Amino acid sequence: MTRELRAIVVFAVLCATGLLVVVAAHAQPQDDVQNEPGTSEGSSIPARELANPVTPPQAEDTADDTAPEVDPPAASVEDEQDETQHGETAIYSNDTDDAAKPASGLEALSADPKQWPMAGRDYGLTRFSELNEINIENAGRLQMAWTFSLGTNRGQEAAPLIIDNVLYVVGPYPNRVFALDATTGELKWMYTPKPNPAAQGVACCDVVNRGLAYNDGRIFLNTLDAHTVALDAKTGKEIWYIKLGEINRGETITMAPLAAAGKVFVGNSGGEMGVRGWLTALDQETGEIAWRAYSTGPDEDVLIGDDFEPYYDHYKEKDLGVSSWPPDHWKNGGGTVWGWVSYDPELNLVFYGTANPGPWNSNQRPGDNLWTTTLFARDADTGRAKWAYQVNPHDLWDYDEINENILLDLEIDGRARKVLVHVGRNGFMYVMDRKTGEIISADKYGNTNSIERIDLETGRPIENESMKPELGKVIRNVCPASPGAKDWQPSAWSPRTKLLYVPHQNLCMNFKTSEVGYIAGTPFVGATVDMYAGPGGHRGEFLAWDPIKREKVWAIKEHFPVWSGTVVTAGDVAFYGTMDRWFKAVNAKTGELLWKFRAGSGFIGQPVTYEGSDGRQYVAILSGVGGWSGAVAAAEIDPRVRNGALGFTGAMQDLPAYTLGGSELLVFAIPETDRAEARNTYGGGDHAARQ
Amino acid sequence: MPHANKFLCSFAALGALFFASEAAAQAHSHADHATTENAPSDFLDVPATSLIPGDIKIKPGVKNPAAEDSGSAQRGMKYFANFNCSGCHAANGGGGMGPALSNRAFIYGDEPEQIYLSIAQGRPAGMPAWGTVLPKPVIWDLVSYIRSISDAPNPQWGSTTSLEAFTIEQVPAEFKETPDPWKYTEPFSFGQQPRPKKAAGEG
Repeated sequence: MTRELRAIVVFAVLCATGLLVVVAAHAQPQDDVQNEPGTSEGSSIPARELANPVTPPQAEDTADDTAPEVDPPAASVEDEQDETQHGETAIYSNDTDDAAKPASGLEALSADPKQWPMAGRDYGLTRFSELNEINIENAGRLQMAWTFSLGTNRGQEAAPLIIDNVLYVVGPYPNRVFALDATTGELKWMYTPKPNPAAQGVACCDVVNRGLAYNDGRIFLNTLDAHTVALDAKTGKEIWYIKLGEINRGETITMAPLAAAGKVFVGNSGGEMGVRGWLTALDQETGEIAWRAYSTGPDEDVLIGDDFEPYYDHYKEKDLGVSSWPPDHWKNGGGTVWGWVSYDPELNLVFYGTANPGPWNSNQRPGDNLWTTTLFARDADTGRAKWAYQVNPHDLWDYDEINENILLDLEIDGRARKVLVHVGRNGFMYVMDRKTGEIISADKYGNTNSIERIDLETGRPIENESMKPELGKVIRNVCPASPGAKDWQPSAWSPRTKLLYVPHQNLCMNFKTSEVGYIAGTPFVGATVDMYAGPGGHRGEFLAWDPIKREKVWAIKEHFPVWSGTVVTAGDVAFYGTMDRWFKAVNAKTGELLWKFRAGSGFIGQPVTYEGSDGRQYVAILSGVGGWSGAVAAAEIDPRVRNGALGFTGAMQDLPAYTLGGSELLVFAIPETDRAEARNTYGGGDHAARQ
Repeated sequence: MPHANKFLCSFAALGALFFASEAAAQAHSHADHATTENAPSDFLDVPATSLIPGDIKIKPGVKNPAAEDSGSAQRGMKYFANFNCSGCHAANGGGGMGPALSNRAFIYGDEPEQIYLSIAQGRPAGMPAWGTVLPKPVIWDLVSYIRSISDAPNPQWGSTTSLEAFTIEQVPAEFKETPDPWKYTEPFSFGQQPRPKKAAGEG
């Protein structure tokens, strides 16, 4: 098809869908629209027709609709001109320390408390460190060790990685990567990729990046414009890069990849743009796609086969990723994979959750909309699904379920269980058997009135009828609001206290749905949202939860959502940051505040801890507010218009009076004089014994 | 209507040319108020900045053909929703994925012809280029609407941000759909639930 003809097709289809919507809109009452979806002749257009894809590739794509789209093969840098890189690397030091050869295997690195080798610290995403030099007795004496500016003042959500005294960190778009001496802060190299600036226009919720991955001397980077890049960890030179998604279909990448089983696991973002979600496994060596599992569509694309053994019977029918949607809607149905991937080496399974279905207006997509808001367990080698569990069938309020799945071995009712703990966006704490997908317990941990309880027989949530959306009608006081009781910000688990530390928010909302047409590369939402503080008036909370007793142990109320991650240590200290610029250390047993530091910008980053080459324990976090919650302080958003930032402006409108964006890496330690004593006396921790 | 729509969509790929002209005709019948055509060459003189070498004044001969049409902003409001402008710039232009349009601040200029070109050409940091897919009268109605919603109260030259300086917010769009949202304001809520006393249009 020629370019001109293609443009005409787009024009024609846009007019046929979009402009007819305009005709319909003219015929509609302007306020208080309450039609039943797709039934009132002449006043509303059935959802399936509005949802017709209009991209030129899809218009052409008639014969091969259902086959997984195979993306361009990895470009091997060696194959092209030698000096051509996708981005640029600047080397700042000739420090070629051969002794710092990477340890073999990420499991070995995770077992060494000096390291922080992946965003979640270990494959189970516990974010627990056995270091105890900083502990509840001396944390009050923490001091700044060094800082570094990433130079881009948008939301800083990334977790730094520390491997053998080198700290690797990535910033928001344009996704520069920095390698620094983890003890002195000296810059070793910087890598500047070349993401397409237009990607900023299809990133729903600030232009964040949640971190890098590392394995076998390589750093893996995702860029906002949907590329994955492998870098030599020592030199910063590109090894391979590959384009995995298309911004003209609204695809971006913001998640931190996971390296495991010789692969790099990467998922797409774009659930607000009618993207079709996927998790892709790349060969770590070459960057070639080993497998791609879509979140919607036929079983063949979702990688569901005979070995799929879901715990709940209603997932056992064939091609549910097609039949639980209006015709063809699954092609634009969302279910992106922008959160966390965990891995169980013994079972060789990866675990992750998928995001919301598109559009947010649920009237346009009758059915359960599988496999959106679904937890998947997949074989790491083949990608084939072992089990799945849909958290929010036919999602009504944008409750993505991409949140972390923490892998723990717990004794429950006298039985040793291999569990997965999913801190649900819907306000429920799920403890599941990770071998089978059975829910062991599901309890409310936040203010939730939209869902009453989870039926453990079927796994289905029992929703509150009075909170369900009705087209064109304002539903007030839905709790939690669209970001859920907890969003992406990851929790931490201490095997010492047997508590889960959960940074989260306390928000409710007004929610009004409207018909929306699908235009590739533009938002596919259909909801007017207005969020505000939930019961009590505070907007955030740092919670300690006992997953065995299934109860809250303590909680700290915060003025704003706690949008940072957290880390907990063998010194029984938990760290987190607040959006009003405080970095805090609290007693993991009691919640007592031990220390706080006022930084240049609010925190939405992930704290980590490690040991430097000088043997000292350091704690590091990025300061720099932004993200969906903080966009009003970092992007061009008007705090007086409550519906901005997909409704988050309403809840955060006063944030600009506390902070603007920033980009500072902060690194803390206790003074030298306090160290020796701390090491030898605190709590008989494993680390002291190991020395 | 739904049947007609389905018919159009399914045939669009085959009879692209025919339906393009049909749809264009339809668009024009919708916007037949717009009789004044701007010459394409006039747009070449529209600057995206106020800095002009030689300290000269430029007054491009481009006019919004719907400038005198009182229904233009109202139609623009519908287009703003229907072409998903509201998904990025938010209801009432509060901003989100795209910058706010509610506060008189326009990166590429606030004259009608400058806003027209921002929509038609797109902008490099994420604004899509709509010129080849939207008929001109539709874009002009969007310009009318955007000019209307950007008309924020302007008590001082710059703006002061502090807890004390936050005084008003708009009645949110779920309660009031209007091309003049700055006519409906309430006291600032500081992130708390807005008071519903003036709520209109709630079901």
